[in-house]
Amino acid sequence: MEKFMLIFQGGDMHGVSPEQMQASMSKWMAWIDRLAKKEQYVSGEPLIPGGKLVSGAGGKTVTDGPYTEGKEVVGGFFVIKAKDMDEAVAISKDCPDFDLGTAVQVRQVMKMDM
Amino acid sequence: MQQTGNINQLVDHLFRHESGKMVSVLSRLLGFQNLETAHDIVQDTLLQAMNSWSYNYIPDNPVAWLHRVAKNKAIDFLRREKKFREISPAYTYLLQSEYSLSPTVNNLFLENEISDSQLRMMFACCHPSIPVESQIALTLKTLCGLSVAEIARAFLTNEETISKRIYRAKEKIKAEKIELEVPSHDELQHRLDAVLKSLYLLFNEGYNSSQPDQLIREDCCEEAMRLCHIITRHSLTSYPRTKALLSLMCFQSSRLNARLDDTGNIILLKGQDRSKWHLPLIQKGFDYLDAAAEPFEISTYHFEAAIASLHAAAPHFEKTDWPSIYHLYEMLYELQPNPVVAMNKAIASAYAINRSEGLDQLLKIKGLENYYLYHTSVGEIYYELAEKKKAQRSFETALQLTTSQQERQLLQQKIRSCEPV
Repeated sequence: MEKFMLIFQGGDMHGVSPEQMQASMSKWMAWIDRLAKKEQYVSGEPLIPGGKLVSGAGGKTVTDGPYTEGKEVVGGFFVIKAKDMDEAVAISKDCPDFDLGTAVQVRQVMKMDM
Repeated sequence: MQQTGNINQLVDHLFRHESGKMVSVLSRLLGFQNLETAHDIVQDTLLQAMNSWSYNYIPDNPVAWLHRVAKNKAIDFLRREKKFREISPAYTYLLQSEYSLSPTVNNLFLENEISDSQLRMMFACCHPSIPVESQIALTLKTLCGLSVAEIARAFLTNEETISKRIYRAKEKIKAEKIELEVPSHDELQHRLDAVLKSLYLLFNEGYNSSQPDQLIREDCCEEAMRLCHIITRHSLTSYPRTKALLSLMCFQSSRLNARLDDTGNIILLKGQDRSKWHLPLIQKGFDYLDAAAEPFEISTYHFEAAIASLHAAAPHFEKTDWPSIYHLYEMLYELQPNPVVAMNKAIASAYAINRSEGLDQLLKIKGLENYYLYHTSVGEIYYELAEKKKAQRSFETALQLTTSQQERQLLQQKIRSCEPV
């Protein structure tokens, strides 16, 4: 099994009703539940919007941000286990929020074979 | 907080109901003119919950979590604005001082204060100077946490229409300087009637309109009952007629599951499988009807609930106590002489006395020429009097007057049954 990070980006919550929010949330929990039962769920965390960007020589420049386009803002991530990239992509397709404009970035965690 | 795997630990409609509570409380705190801000704070709060809870971090006490986050956002807003006098005249001094700011806000989130805020909100949304359709739209938005899109779906209309209705309500609130308060004693009766009427219409909208989206209809019924419940529990508004209305809603909703067949056709009372009626709701209906008996008061809701109770008590359609129902309709008609009550009275007379009496009464009614149910009822009686040609003609008129798919199916079936074999 390989490890993958699913990075959830964007999503437009404008005009979404309380009932829809609760429904979406239940779907996320059910999704995690299914992955956990198959022992494929490692961890996952939501991220608070906003943050700081540290850059420049010696990390001198600290700015607010990253202020990217709304559709690129990272809302959270999962670390999952999957056989290969194909399976990780298949799992990503269960993300409940595609209708709301969310995109999933699927990245494989590099193994350091020494 | 713990990462759990239990997805069923949230109560159904928790977000929707908490949204209604929090909007009511925050509007009371921030002033009714800041209703938009209250909505924004609640929306932010729920989004924050959704974003973190989705990753399976459900707090041990979800409601307390939501209230805490909303409180903090409200306090931030108050500190930032510093215009307490304009924002909230009732709490100006308490909000100015950091010592009393948090306790004041906390206090408003206590259980009894929450229901008090909801009650004030109902009186404001259902103010008699606001057009009824706007009252209902605003109630659904603020107290029931429905989005404009959901309300539009419930009323089979578009979002623009609903937005306009809500806008009109807000304009009235501004123009009439409507406050978030329980009306004073001499005004209370009249204002309470407006609230009950609005809830009655909301319930009927859900109950009577047959439309593809079954769920949203049931939501309307459920919300009307939930709000009626709040009024019933509050000592200032717990009048017998409030209980009678709640009783009526219990009886009607006990039949919701028996009203449609598997293919979505409407089943009339006569053909309903009575074992599908929801007994606990029927029991509640009887309990509230008992409670509505004292102190003595007469309202249309009393008669309607009593009629519904007689239907609920009948083991079969044939065993229905039609004479009593007819009598109740006669009394209801005296109180509310409108053509729809006249129609129901006529139908009851067809069973209580005989079919020709029913037909006579029906044909005398003026003002229902465009109402499909009127023509359906006339057709039914002609059919039972074996005048199939006339029956068919009435069903055909009815068919032209309804766009509801379910009712059309039902009528087409009736028309076919009139064809000579």
